[in-house]
Amino acid sequence: MGPEVPIELVEEDGFDWEAAVREIDLACLKSLNPSSSSSSNKDNVTKPAKRQSTLDRFIARPDHYPPPPDPPVFSDPNFDNDNSPCVGIDPETAKTWIYPVNVPLRDYQFAITKTALFSNTLVALPTGLGKTLIAAVVMYNYFRWFPQGKIVFAAPSRPLVMQQIEACHNIVGIPQEWTIDLTGQTCPSKRASLWKSKRVFFVTPQVLEKDIQSGTCLTNCLVCLVIDEAHRALGNYSYCVVVRELMAVPVQLRILALTATPGSKTQAIQGIIDNLQISTLEYRNESDHDVCPYVHDRKVELIQVPLGKDADEVSKRLLDVIRPYAVRLKNFGVLLNRDYQTLSPHELLMARDKFREAPVPGIPHISHGDVESCFAALITLYHIRKLLSSHGIRPAYEMLEEKLHEGPFARLMSKNEDIRMTKLLMQQRLSNGAPSPKLSKMLEILVDHYKIKDPRTSRVIIFSNFRGSVRDIMDALSSIRDVVKATEFIGQSSGKTLKGQSQKVQQAVLEKFRSGGFNVIVATSIGEEGLDIMEVDLVICFDANVSPLRMIQRMGRTGRKNNGRVVVLACEGSEKNSYMRKQANGQAIKKHMRNGGMNSFNFHPSPRMIPHVYKPEVQHVKFSIEQFIPRGKKLQDEPATETPAFKKKLTPEEMDMLAKYFKPGEEKWRVSLIAFPHFQTLPSKVHKVMHSRQTSILIDAMQHLQETTLTEQSKKFSIKYGTPLAERDELDTGLRVGDDPKDFPSFNDLDVNTSQRKAKQVVESPTSTLETTENDFEASSPRHCYLFSSECASVDTLGKVFVLPVPLSFSSNVPGPDYVGREKILSSPNKFHMDVVPIDSSSKHRQDNVSCKLKEGLLPDCANETLESQSLLKRHSTDVGKGDIENCAGEIMISSDEDDEDLELSPRLTNFIKSGVVPDSPVYDQGVANEANIEDHLNRPPTRLSNELAEEPSTPEKKIHITCTASEFRTPEKEKDLANGTECFAVSPMPEEWRTPLANITNASSSASKDWRLSSGEKSETLRQPRKLKRLRRLGDCSSAVKENNPGIAKTDHVRSRSLGERNIRGKKKIRADNNARIFIDAEAEVSSESEMSVDEKEDLTGDSVEDSFIDDGTMPTANTQAECAKVDMMAVYRRSLLSQSPLPTRFRDVAAASSPSPYSSGLLKTINESRSDSDKSLSSLRTPQTTNNESNKEDTMAATGDFSVAQISTDSRKRKFSLCNSANVPVINLENKFEAHAQATEKESHEGLRSNVGASQYKEEDDDDDDDDAFYATLDFDAMEAQATLLLSKQRSETKTKEDAPVKPHMGNQRTDDGPSFDLGLW
Amino acid sequence: MDANNAFDSDLIHAIFKHIWARRFRERERSDAIDATDAEVALGTSKKNRLASANSNALKLSCELLKSFVSEAVQRAAIIAEAEGIDKIEASHLERILPQLLLDF
Repeated sequence: MGPEVPIELVEEDGFDWEAAVREIDLACLKSLNPSSSSSSNKDNVTKPAKRQSTLDRFIARPDHYPPPPDPPVFSDPNFDNDNSPCVGIDPETAKTWIYPVNVPLRDYQFAITKTALFSNTLVALPTGLGKTLIAAVVMYNYFRWFPQGKIVFAAPSRPLVMQQIEACHNIVGIPQEWTIDLTGQTCPSKRASLWKSKRVFFVTPQVLEKDIQSGTCLTNCLVCLVIDEAHRALGNYSYCVVVRELMAVPVQLRILALTATPGSKTQAIQGIIDNLQISTLEYRNESDHDVCPYVHDRKVELIQVPLGKDADEVSKRLLDVIRPYAVRLKNFGVLLNRDYQTLSPHELLMARDKFREAPVPGIPHISHGDVESCFAALITLYHIRKLLSSHGIRPAYEMLEEKLHEGPFARLMSKNEDIRMTKLLMQQRLSNGAPSPKLSKMLEILVDHYKIKDPRTSRVIIFSNFRGSVRDIMDALSSIRDVVKATEFIGQSSGKTLKGQSQKVQQAVLEKFRSGGFNVIVATSIGEEGLDIMEVDLVICFDANVSPLRMIQRMGRTGRKNNGRVVVLACEGSEKNSYMRKQANGQAIKKHMRNGGMNSFNFHPSPRMIPHVYKPEVQHVKFSIEQFIPRGKKLQDEPATETPAFKKKLTPEEMDMLAKYFKPGEEKWRVSLIAFPHFQTLPSKVHKVMHSRQTSILIDAMQHLQETTLTEQSKKFSIKYGTPLAERDELDTGLRVGDDPKDFPSFNDLDVNTSQRKAKQVVESPTSTLETTENDFEASSPRHCYLFSSECASVDTLGKVFVLPVPLSFSSNVPGPDYVGREKILSSPNKFHMDVVPIDSSSKHRQDNVSCKLKEGLLPDCANETLESQSLLKRHSTDVGKGDIENCAGEIMISSDEDDEDLELSPRLTNFIKSGVVPDSPVYDQGVANEANIEDHLNRPPTRLSNELAEEPSTPEKKIHITCTASEFRTPEKEKDLANGTECFAVSPMPEEWRTPLANITNASSSASKDWRLSSGEKSETLRQPRKLKRLRRLGDCSSAVKENNPGIAKTDHVRSRSLGERNIRGKKKIRADNNARIFIDAEAEVSSESEMSVDEKEDLTGDSVEDSFIDDGTMPTANTQAECAKVDMMAVYRRSLLSQSPLPTRFRDVAAASSPSPYSSGLLKTINESRSDSDKSLSSLRTPQTTNNESNKEDTMAATGDFSVAQISTDSRKRKFSLCNSANVPVINLENKFEAHAQATEKESHEGLRSNVGASQYKEEDDDDDDDDAFYATLDFDAMEAQATLLLSKQRSETKTKEDAPVKPHMGNQRTDDGPSFDLGLW
Repeated sequence: MDANNAFDSDLIHAIFKHIWARRFRERERSDAIDATDAEVALGTSKKNRLASANSNALKLSCELLKSFVSEAVQRAAIIAEAEGIDKIEASHLERILPQLLLDF
C-alpha cells in the first residue's frame, strides 16, 4: 500500500493534488478511527488498485475523493469549491441506475452504458448504432444522482445540438425545464444566467470553451460532459481546450466521448484519448457479434468513371503547364525524381515543408523565392488537376479563373501561354456543355434507384467535397426533376460565386428533407456528420478522394433503418487509387481498436464519481416522455405573457376600457374606414391639422364614385353643400393654397392668379378667363375640376373665379333655370333678374348637383334633375338670387354677396368648400355675367339674338353637316377655326373662338391662338394635358373635316365662319351687333379680364378642356346666356337625341322665332355645344359654338354619350360647363327677358318641351353614364377613358350624323325644335 | 404642447416595443416558412434585431401621436356636435377617420 500511494499521487498529480491531500487526510482519519465508515475503508482498500484500475476499468475504481455526502471539513477553500456544494449525491437514487426500455434493448448499448457510467469512455461505434442513446442514459443517470450537478452535452454544430437535444429528450425524457441549448446565438449574459438556472446543457464546444474561460460556466458543478463527434478533439479544438480547462480547475466529472470514426491513425486516436482524459475505449464495428444484428446491410460500390475525353485533353494541357515547373524543382533537387504526372498536391506540400525546414544545400539563397513560387504554382496546378479529375471541368475552370486573378499564381502564370491555352480549351469545352461523365453516371444511378424505390419514401444524399460541383450536380439534377426533388445543403460561408446557407436555412432544408419535401440533398462535408435521417437508403459520394474517416461518416448517413447503399464515384486513375489506399488504411486502424485498444493506447485514470458505497443496480424503466417542445416556440410565448409596465399605472376603469377594445386574441370592435362613405365626399372639418392632398384626392374620388347616388339622392344635398363649398372654398382655398401650393387645388390662388393674369393679359376674352379658372380647378383635381369647371365660372366672375361658377350655375340651372327663368321671366321680367340671380346661386348649388347630373346626362339629366334641383336651387337661388340680383345691380360686389349667401347656404357641405370656391366665383360671375349680360342684352341681345337666330339656323345645319362629314363634332368649329387658322384648332381652336368672341372674330383667331398657347402652357402644367392634346388633335382632325363644312358656315356667317363656336356665339353677338358684341366683349372682358385668366386656364386645361370649354362657353354664354340656357336644354335634347343638332337648331330657331331670345337660345345651344364639345374637345366646342352649337350638340350628344361612358369626369365637366353656359345664359336671358320676355317665354316653352324629352333621355343617359362613370372611376385611366369616349363619340357621331342629317334639315327651320324632341324620343 | 399634456414617452415606448416585438415574431414565423418553402432565404442579422428608438425620436413620436389623437378627437367632436350629441361615439370617429388618416 505504501508504495502504491506515492504512485497514485504521482498519477493524480497532474489534475488533482488536493484530492490526494484529502486522501491522506482521510487515511489519517481512518487511522484515528479504525471503525470508520465502510466507504472510507473501501477507499483505502481500493486505493491500491488504483494503479491497476487504469487498466482494469471494470474493477471498482478507487475513489480518490470522499463521497460528497461526508466531506470532511477541510480548511482548503478550493477543495470546498471543487467538490462540496454542487456535486452532492442523492443517496436514494444512487442505489440504482436507470436504463430505458422504451426502445428495444441492445446488448452492446447496455454494456457500453454501464461502462460509461463509471469511467471516462470513448465510444467508437459505427454510425447509426445508437450512440446518442448511450449518452442520454448516462446523462439521465447523472442527472438523477446529482441533484445539483450540471450536465453538458457538446456537439460540434448547432444543427447537431438541436438534433441531440431532441433525441435525448425522446430517449430518457429529462424534463425540459432543466434543459437548455446554448449556442453562439445566445448572448453571453443570458448564458450566464442560464448556466445558473438550468442543469442540462446542450452546447457547442466553442460556447462551452468561452463560458468556461469567462467563468460563467459553473465548472465546479459539472458532473458529466458528453462530447459528440469526439474525433474532432485534436489539436486546439475547443473540445481539447475545454477538457484541459476543466482538468486544470480541477473538477471531477464524467467524460463520455462519442464518435463513429475515432481516427484513421493510431496517433490520432491516442491524441483523442489524451486530450479527453479517456480511460476506456469502447469500440464496436459492424462485424462484432453483439452489433451485427442491428447493422443494416450496407453495400458499398465503387464505380469507376472514365475521365472523359474533354477532361483528359485538359488534363494533358495542364501537365504541359506543370512540366517546366516540376522540372525546375527537380533541377533544384527539391523534388524527388518522380513522374510529375503522379504527383499530388499533398506530396508537393510535404516537399515544400521539407524544403522550408531544411533547404537543400547548394541552392543559392536567392533562388529560394524561385523555389517557393514554383511550389505555389505547382500546388495550385495540381489542385486544379485534382478538381478536374474528380469534379469535372467547370470547378477546375472556376478555380483556375479565380487563381489567375489574384496572388502570386497570377503573376507567375499571367504570361504563360500554355495556361492561357488551357483556359481557352476549358472555356470551349464548357460552352459546348461538355457533360461530366460523373454527372451522367450519377444521374443514371439516381434514375435507377428511383425505379426501384418510391421517390416519396426514399431519400438520397449526394456528397461532394467541393461546393462548386454542388451547383453542377444541382443543375444536372434539374433534368430529372419529375422524380427528384433536390436541394443543396451547404455551409454558411458565402464565397464569391456561391452563397452559403444560413443555419436557419440548413435546418429548414433538413426538416423538409425529413418530411419528404425533398428526396435528394446535395451536401458538402457539412452533411457528413451526425445527420440522422432514417430513410436515407442511398448515398452517392461524388468524389472518392476524401479521408476514410469522412468516407465512413458519409456511409453512415445510410443504412440506419433499412438496408443502405453507398455508391462511390471514382475517376479512373489517381482518384481511384488514392481511394483504395485510404480504405486500406482505415481497415488497418480497426485492428488497433479491438479489445478496447488495450494494447495500442495509453489510457488515463478517471474518477468513478459514484462512491463505492453505492453500487447502483440497473433498473429498467419505461419512460413516459412528454412531447418535445422546441425551445423557439417557448420563447415566442414568453413576450406575450409579459405585462407591460404601463398597465400598472392604469385604473381599473381604464383597464376595463382597454379590455373592451383591445381584448387580446379577438377583436370586439374594429374601426371601419368605409362605414361612412358619404362623409368622405366632403372634407371634414379640421381642428388644427389641415387636409392633405391625399385627402382631397380621396374626396374627389369619393365624389366621383357617389355622384350618381348623390345626384339622384340629394340634389338638395348638393345645393346645400354647394353653398358651403363656396364658403369653404374661400377659406379652404387659402388654406389649401398654403397647404398645397403645388396642387392646383388651391383653387383660389391659382384661379385668381391665373385668372387675374390671364385677365390682364387677355382682357378681351372674359370667357377665356373663366375657362382659365376652370382649367385651374380642373388641373387641381378632376373632381374639383368638374366642380370647378362648373364653378369655374364663379371663380372667374369673382376674381375670374366667380365668373365660372355663374355660368356653370346658369348652365346647370339652364334646364331648370330655363324653365324657371323662363317662367319667371315670363311672369315677370323683374323676377327674371331675381331668378337669374337665384339661378346663379342655384346654379352654383346646382352646379355641384348639376355638375354631377350634368356629368351624367349632361343637359338631359340636368334638365330633369336640374328642374328639380333648379326648383330647389331656384329657391335657394331666389334667395341668393335676390342677392345676386342686387349683386348684378351692384355688379361683382353683389356677386360676392351671393357667394356669401351661398356660403351660408351650405355650411354642411364642408366637402363642397372647394366647390364653394366655385360658387363664390359664380356669384361674381353671375354678377359680372349679369352685368355683362345685362349690358349686352340691353344693348345687343335683340340684335344678337336676331343675328344669332339667323346665323344659328344656318350654322346648325352646316355644323350638323360638318359633324356628319367630320368624324368629330368639332369639325364645324374647326371650320371656323380653319377660317381663323387651322393652327388654332389644335391648341387655339378654343382660344380663337374665345378670342374671336371677345375680340372681333378676325382678331379672335390670332388672339385665340395666343390665348390657347398660353392656356396650353398652363395646361401643360395640369395633368390633363394629354387629353387636351388628344382633344386638340381631334379638333385638328375635325378641323379638316370642318374646313370643308366651314366654308359654308363661314360663308353663312363671316364672323361665325371664323370662329363658329365662340365666334358664332360671340360672333353672332358681334356680327349681329358689333356694338353689342363689343359691349359683350367689354363686359366679358371686364368679367373675363379675370375670367379670361380663368378661361385661359380652362383652355389650358383643355386636357380638361371640356370643363374649360364649358367654362368658356359659360363665359360666352354670359353674353348668350339665354341662348346658353336654351342650349343647355338643347344639349340635353341633342344628347338624348342623335338629332341633338336639330334640337339645338330648333331651339335656336325657336329663339330666332322669338327674335331676340332666339339668338340667346342659339347662343345657349352654341354654348351647350361648346360645352359638349369641350367635354369632348373643349376647343372644338368653343370654336363651333354657333355653327358648332348644332354640331357641338350633335357632337356633344355623341361625345356626351361617349364621354359619359368614357368618364364621368368629362360628363361632369360637360354638365358643369353646361351649367356654366346655362348660368351665363341665364343672365343673358334675364337681360333678354327684360328686353324680350316673350321670346324667352317661347324659348322656354320650346326648351321645356325639349327638356322634357331630353330629361327622359337624359335620365337614361345618366344611368348609362353612371355605370360608365363607375367603371371609369374604377379604372381611373383617363387616357383610356378618353380613348373609349372618342370611340363612343365617333360611333355616336356616326349614328347621330345619320340621324341628324335627316332631322337637321327639318330642324333648319324652327321646326327643328319640335323635330328634335320627337327625334329624341324616337331615338331614346 | 407643454409637459403636462405630453404623452408619457415610456408608455409610447412600451407600445412601440410591443408592436415591434409582435412584428418581429411574425417576421420570424414567416421567415421560417420562407426558409422551408425556398431554401434560398438568408437570415440577415439586421432583420433579427428588434427595432429601437432613441429618446428624441420617442419625444417626436409622442408629439405626433398627441397631435394625431387630439385632432381625431376634435374632429370627431365636431361631428358629434353637429349631431347634437355631447359624447363622441365610435361612429363619429369612423366618419372622420379616412380623411384623418390621409392627413397624417
